[in-house]
Formats: sequence, structure tokens, C-alpha cells
Amino acid sequence: MKRIRLSRCGAQLLAPSPPRRPLCPFAPSLQRTITPHNHRIQSRLQSTAAGTVTEIDLDDFDVAEAVADELPTRPDSVRHRPRELLPSPEPRLAKQSAKLAALRSRLSLPPRFPLETLARTLVHPSADPDPAFNNGSLSILGANLLGYYTTEHLTCNYPRLPMTVIFAAQYAYIGPKALATIASEWGIEAAAEPGGEVDPGLLQFKRLRSGQDLPEPLKGKKAPRKWNVTTTNRILKSDEFGSQHAGHDPQALQRQPIPMEEAAQSFVQALVGSLHLHLGSPLVKRFYRDHFLSRHLEMDKLFDFRTPTRDLSKLCAREGFEAPVARLISETGRHTNHPVFVVGVYSGKDKLGEGAGSSLDEARTRAAAAAMKGWCLYRPLEVTVPSSTEGEVDPTKWKPNMIDCGEVIV
Amino acid sequence: MPLAGIRTVAKAQNGVGAFILQCRRLDFHYCDWAGSSRGMNAFIRSSLSNFAKANPQIEIRVSPRPHNHPTIVGHYINGRQVELDVRNLDKAGIREKAWFLRNTSGEKEKRTTKPVTSLNESVRGIWSPFHGARIKI
Repeated sequence: MKRIRLSRCGAQLLAPSPPRRPLCPFAPSLQRTITPHNHRIQSRLQSTAAGTVTEIDLDDFDVAEAVADELPTRPDSVRHRPRELLPSPEPRLAKQSAKLAALRSRLSLPPRFPLETLARTLVHPSADPDPAFNNGSLSILGANLLGYYTTEHLTCNYPRLPMTVIFAAQYAYIGPKALATIASEWGIEAAAEPGGEVDPGLLQFKRLRSGQDLPEPLKGKKAPRKWNVTTTNRILKSDEFGSQHAGHDPQALQRQPIPMEEAAQSFVQALVGSLHLHLGSPLVKRFYRDHFLSRHLEMDKLFDFRTPTRDLSKLCAREGFEAPVARLISETGRHTNHPVFVVGVYSGKDKLGEGAGSSLDEARTRAAAAAMKGWCLYRPLEVTVPSSTEGEVDPTKWKPNMIDCGEVIV
Repeated sequence: MPLAGIRTVAKAQNGVGAFILQCRRLDFHYCDWAGSSRGMNAFIRSSLSNFAKANPQIEIRVSPRPHNHPTIVGHYINGRQVELDVRNLDKAGIREKAWFLRNTSGEKEKRTTKPVTSLNESVRGIWSPFHGARIKI
């Protein structure tokens, strides 16, 4: 299928852009023989390297050799130091690490994903401040991709989810704790201390000693208690989890001791970013679906209502339903220590929700909360996420998603 | 709508999307001199490369342990280790033990009393005395 490349449309009219170092140093050498997915790399090939492209049999082609001539080099002051004094292992040692090769096939990554890049994703800026050798840039890209895929999944599949619950669901799928758990489930081990002599298959970061304070960028600034931080403000100003403070720049953590969770999180993000650069977005989407979306999350356990009865009556008024009425369905042991009441919330003849509690009020509140959850957790049957149409020319595949008119305003 | 989201972490379901082999590393220890390592030495010389090729997810280490019986140690993703004594076993026996360590999850053995273990709620729900036909006493 022919694709329209936006970058080619006006390229000849613009001034030649300054030579830009690619985000991943190994990408161009690999893309020479493998069909590129990234349109930027594709256009670069056509402009500069068109004459040098030769047909190479993929079986004879050794990815490692191609990578070896393009490995980044350290500045002269550092390069001639003994291996023990380097901040992180040299990229050429990645080929010899059994841990890295095992990790690559454990994650079912294809062999064309180079071990050198996998080794780079394991080096946190706190271990190696050189941006050409650490995973800072890759983790920014990966964090954005993860955020994009999770947001579109949640907002398209659950169009009526309130914003605070979307924040909580994002946190459950790709929050720092979730990513650190995923890294440990992939079998990532951390090096005791980063350095050039360490196995490149270990996670390299400067450890936070017990009793040490968190570095400044990780602390963030909390708004004073009396400030009313609105949800709108959180959407605009904070990260994708609705935290009190915006995310930090990974390069700001250079040479600062950090907790393991932070390093493991940056590894997972950097891996997703480097997969996008090397293998293209279709494979990243599959990787995301297999490793992140396949995790089990009970959406109905994320709600914490404060006044569900009031919310429900406002919702019914907005939608034009009859006002909700709570009715006792059954009860037992009213005069004992452990009474149970089952209460249903009805709008006209329709039962909206049902709840059981040890007092009439508790049962009514539970019933209203169940009714609210039933409304908010609606899932449309057919969903097309925006990223599924990336690179498609045929617009008929796109089916518009349902968009709800929003939360109930009380 | 005054409402707060509760922060949790989604639970892993290994094998539902991707499958991660739980065995992370296998250590093979042998002795050059002792007779109990004869089968182990033959295994390392002839079959270990095939075993490693069949299981690229596992990091394999071979190291001598002089004047000791041969062992295989499995390291698992949950952090546990399983050590097997393979003294006097022949090559086929050692291959069998290596595959056993590859296939285990590293968890402690548990008695399973229920036929199904699931994170999902039961489709039928829990029986409630307050619904359905009333029992009159």
C-alpha cells in the first residue's frame, strides 16, 4: 500500500536542516537493510544514502557488524581510562553478555533488535551522565508512547469514566510502581554499583542509601493544602497520573542517588522507546498489548464516591430519567447485632442498582454507588482507537467513537 | 461530582498476553576428577549447547566445583533458587533434570484444593439468601 509521506511534501522548499544526531545511534545502520517503519529515517535514506543502498542477503548480513561501525565514542578525556573508571559498560561489550541475550529472547524480541541498544536502555542517567550513553532520551519517548496508548485505550473503551478514575487507571497500568513491577517480572537485576566493569545486562543506576533524602527533582513541589487544585489544572499542568507536580527531566538526575523504582521505570520506558525506533510502531503496539494491557485491572474497584446518592439524582435529572427512589428489597435481623438490608435504587420501574448493608442508609448509599458505576463503566461494543489508523490511507476503517457529554456537575 | 480515584497496580497474568519463562538462569557445577560427575561432564561436552540453543531465554553458567558432587542450580524470576544434586546420573538423567528446572516456576509447592484459581469474579455470583425463592420456616 502506498503511503503519503508528510515529510516529503514540502521538504525541497525548506532550507537544509542541520545534521541531527539520531536518537538511537544504531538505528541508521540497521535501517539500511530492513524496511523502515519510521518515515523520518525513510526520508533520510532517500536524501543521503540512496546511492549506497545495496542488496544484501539478510541471512549473510550480520546486524552486529553494521552496528559496530556506528557505536558512539566517548570524549577523549574519558576514552583512554581503564574499564573500571568508566561510568557505564562500553556498548561493544553488549555482544558478550549472556544476560542481555537471554533478556532479549525472554521478551520475544526479534534478533534484529540490537543488544547494544538493549544495554543502553539499562543505563540510567544517574549512572552515566553522557546523554549518548544513557537512556534519558529513550525514556522520554517511551513514556510518551505508553501514555498515548493507555489514554486512548481508556478513553475509547470507557467513554463515561470520570477524570480522576482515568488518572487512577493510568497509574495502575503505567505508573511508576506498575513499571517497576513489570521490570522485576521480566527478570531485571540491578548492579550493586554502576561502572565499566559491570555486566551490561544489569540495571545500572546510583543507589539511594537508606536514610538518604530523595534528590530534588524527584521530590516535586506540593501545592499548599488550602489551594484548590482543580481537575482541569491537573489535566493541563501535571503528568498523566494527575499528580500534584509535573514529571521531571530524566537528565536532571545525573549523578544523583535514586531509588530502584525510578531506575526500573526508566528502563521499561526506554525499552518501549527504542523498540519504536528500531522496529516501528506496529510491533510496539503489539508489545504494549501483550505486556501492559493484558494485565488484570478491576475498573470498578477504582471508584471512591463521596456523595453517590446526590450524584445519582443529578445524573437522572440531567438524562431525563425519573428521580431515583430507594426501596427496601429484603431484610433480616433488624433488631439483632447484625442486621442486613438489601436496598434497590429505582427510577420509575427500572432498577438502577442494588446494595446490601448493615443499616438502611449504608445499603442505600451502596445501591446508589452501584448505579453510578453501572453508568460510568459503560463500554461500547465497537471501538477503533486512533492509533490503529496510523499510516492507513483508507478512511473507511475509522469508525467514530462515542463521546459522552461529561461528568455530572453537582 | 466529588469523586476520588483509588491508586492500585494492575496484576500480572503471565501467559494471557505475553509469556515470560520463569527460569532465569541455570548454573551447572561439575568436577573434573570425581566419578560422580561423569554423566555431567558428558552432558556439558555434548548436549549442553543443544539445550542452550533450545532455551535462549535462560542464561547458562558452567563452573567447576572440585571435589564436590555435580549440581544444577536454577534461579527464578521470583527470586528463589532450586538446587538439584545430580551425582552419578547419566547424560539422559541430567538432561531430564535440566528440563525439569527449566519448566518449574520456582514457587514453593502448594496444595491446590480448588479446581480453578482465577482473578475474575464468578459469573454466577455468590449465592444470596435474600434473593430468589424465599425459604419459609
